[in-house]
Amino acid sequence: MPVIEVADLVKEFSRPTRQEGRFAGLRTLLTREQTVKRAVDGVNFTVRQGEMVGYLGPNGAGKSTTIKMLTGILVPTSGTVTVAGATPWRDRSRNARRIGVVFGQRSQLWWDLPLRDSLWLISRLYDVPEARFRERQRQFSEVLDLGPFLDTPVRQLSLGQRMRGDLAAAMLYDPDILYLDEPTVGLDVIAKERIRTFVGELNRASGTTVVLTTHDLDDVEELCDRIILIDHGRVAYDGAVDELKTRYAPHRELVVQTDRLESVEGAEVVRREDGKVWLRFDPVRTPPAELVAAVLARHRVTDLSIVEPELESVIHRIYADRG
Amino acid sequence: MNAPTASATMTAPTSAKRPAGTLLRACLACARMEFRAALTYRTAYLSSFAMMLLQIWLLTVVWKALYDGRAEVDGLSLTTMTAYATLTTLQYQLVSPWRSSPIDQRVREGKVAVDLLRPVGFPAQMLSGQLGWASAAVPVLLVALPFALLIGAGRAPASAAAGFAYPVALIGALLVNQLLGLLLGMVSFWTLEVSGALMAYRFVAQFFSGALVPLWFMPGPVRAAAEWLPFQATAYTPAAVYLGRVEGLGIIAALGVQLAWICALGALAAFVWSRARRRVMSQGG
Ligand SMILES: Nc1ncnc2c1ncn2[C@@H]1O[C@H](COP(=O)(O)OP(=O)(O)O)[C@@H](O)[C@H]1O
Ligand SMILES: [Mg+2]
Repeated sequence: MPVIEVADLVKEFSRPTRQEGRFAGLRTLLTREQTVKRAVDGVNFTVRQGEMVGYLGPNGAGKSTTIKMLTGILVPTSGTVTVAGATPWRDRSRNARRIGVVFGQRSQLWWDLPLRDSLWLISRLYDVPEARFRERQRQFSEVLDLGPFLDTPVRQLSLGQRMRGDLAAAMLYDPDILYLDEPTVGLDVIAKERIRTFVGELNRASGTTVVLTTHDLDDVEELCDRIILIDHGRVAYDGAVDELKTRYAPHRELVVQTDRLESVEGAEVVRREDGKVWLRFDPVRTPPAELVAAVLARHRVTDLSIVEPELESVIHRIYADRG
Repeated sequence: MNAPTASATMTAPTSAKRPAGTLLRACLACARMEFRAALTYRTAYLSSFAMMLLQIWLLTVVWKALYDGRAEVDGLSLTTMTAYATLTTLQYQLVSPWRSSPIDQRVREGKVAVDLLRPVGFPAQMLSGQLGWASAAVPVLLVALPFALLIGAGRAPASAAAGFAYPVALIGALLVNQLLGLLLGMVSFWTLEVSGALMAYRFVAQFFSGALVPLWFMPGPVRAAAEWLPFQATAYTPAAVYLGRVEGLGIIAALGVQLAWICALGALAAFVWSRARRRVMSQGG
């Protein structure tokens, strides 16, 4: 049973048309002409309980707008969203308790006060029983290592620490669904890794459904089995990460360190450098084992490796194809 | 893929309607957070305290000079007048149009989106926060009170009835002021250019509240305007009750007017919020 169902989702923003020429500012203020921007343009997908879905796309593709409609902050222009049987923007208070939300760009913590206070307030807002709150706080202190900065005012936290605090705040009341909008933006490698480990563990241990928007493909490769690729408000691809690679980048490369190699049957030489040769092949037509055997039979090889296509280059190609 | 047993234990109880008790607890928690946040601005806090003591002392000096040796002006004794000035200055720490609502700031910082995610309504969160912030003035008042009495600027309540009615009137004043602040804050959902209007509002509100000049010294038409505006309920009403300027049924009437304003402003705020919410939810927070 899907826990999130999105059908024909459309969101248009309208704002007064910018006027040109003399008194442009004033005329923009007075004009009745509206410029309509379709941020989300007919999106369909469903998410099953316990799935981890990467919602991927370049800047301005409509990721955040979609998340805002899923969480109930925005009402769509048309289409439907059902989260655990309820419409988020109608059934607000019920929906609120089921979902945890982290926006990478805006914290839900109280700037002037220690992190500890924010967590306490959230436990009250979501009426978490006192004992459960203490237990959760202890768990998070452990897995997210909040201990050292639990009593530091949030404004003094580093971005990585703040994100960990935000994650704890979002999961404090045990929601079934976690929405993450660019959770790793601006973080260093170690901080990113820490967030990913936490989210992955959460999903494995508690079956939390995770929808993650990002333009960092490492987030997706590490966490998600499935990605939804969005471009100009439309779904460009929805499916498994591996399948995306086979569909859009069917070729693998065999890199061989060898003395002399002119050609091999079933593969194409695409590059030569420093005594290495790159051979491109289609693993469906030429099984890797056969190719390797063929190369080894005819050449003296000192080193050899097979290179998988990077998700990044795959996605570049998809966007390039779509124009 | 997912562990059903684990997810079952992780599911928080989801009830659509929340009992009033837990809502109150949530609102009190919001108030307490803002109370603490207000205390973190220590320098501002302490300097406002020093300014207040200075102001009380100056006012006693000024009114004494204005009375110029006379015991009464318009049937009003100098001690009553200084006590009025002191009282309104003290009250002003708690009930002031200056720090009325965090909404414009939250809109500017894009925090409204987060507020909308909470299972507690937005106006309830804001109003309890505002009340919490305002109540950070209470410790200051408790320290200032003995000082006021010491320099002879204070006075006991006019009667037992006045003594009992005063705290009620003060809470009424606080609520009227915060509802006005909430309404004004919600304007920032339409335009963020509120600072000019806010400044004008604060001066008008302060003047017509009677915090600078008591209503009884205002010329006829100005006084009539003041009586028909909500602002007098925020400063003049509690002070007049305390000093016995209104008595008996007059006290009931004064509290009734406050209550009427609370209801009217509350209803207006609910209406404005329903429009603002629609706007935020279609335009994005
Ligand atoms: N409140 C808004 N008003 C007008 N346009 C908006 C608003 N929010 C987003 N947009 C526009 O909608 C498009 C999608 O934005 P967004 O969902 O934030 O993209 P992403 O998160 O994928 O970077 C962008 O072109 C953006 O400028
Ligand atoms: Mg975004």
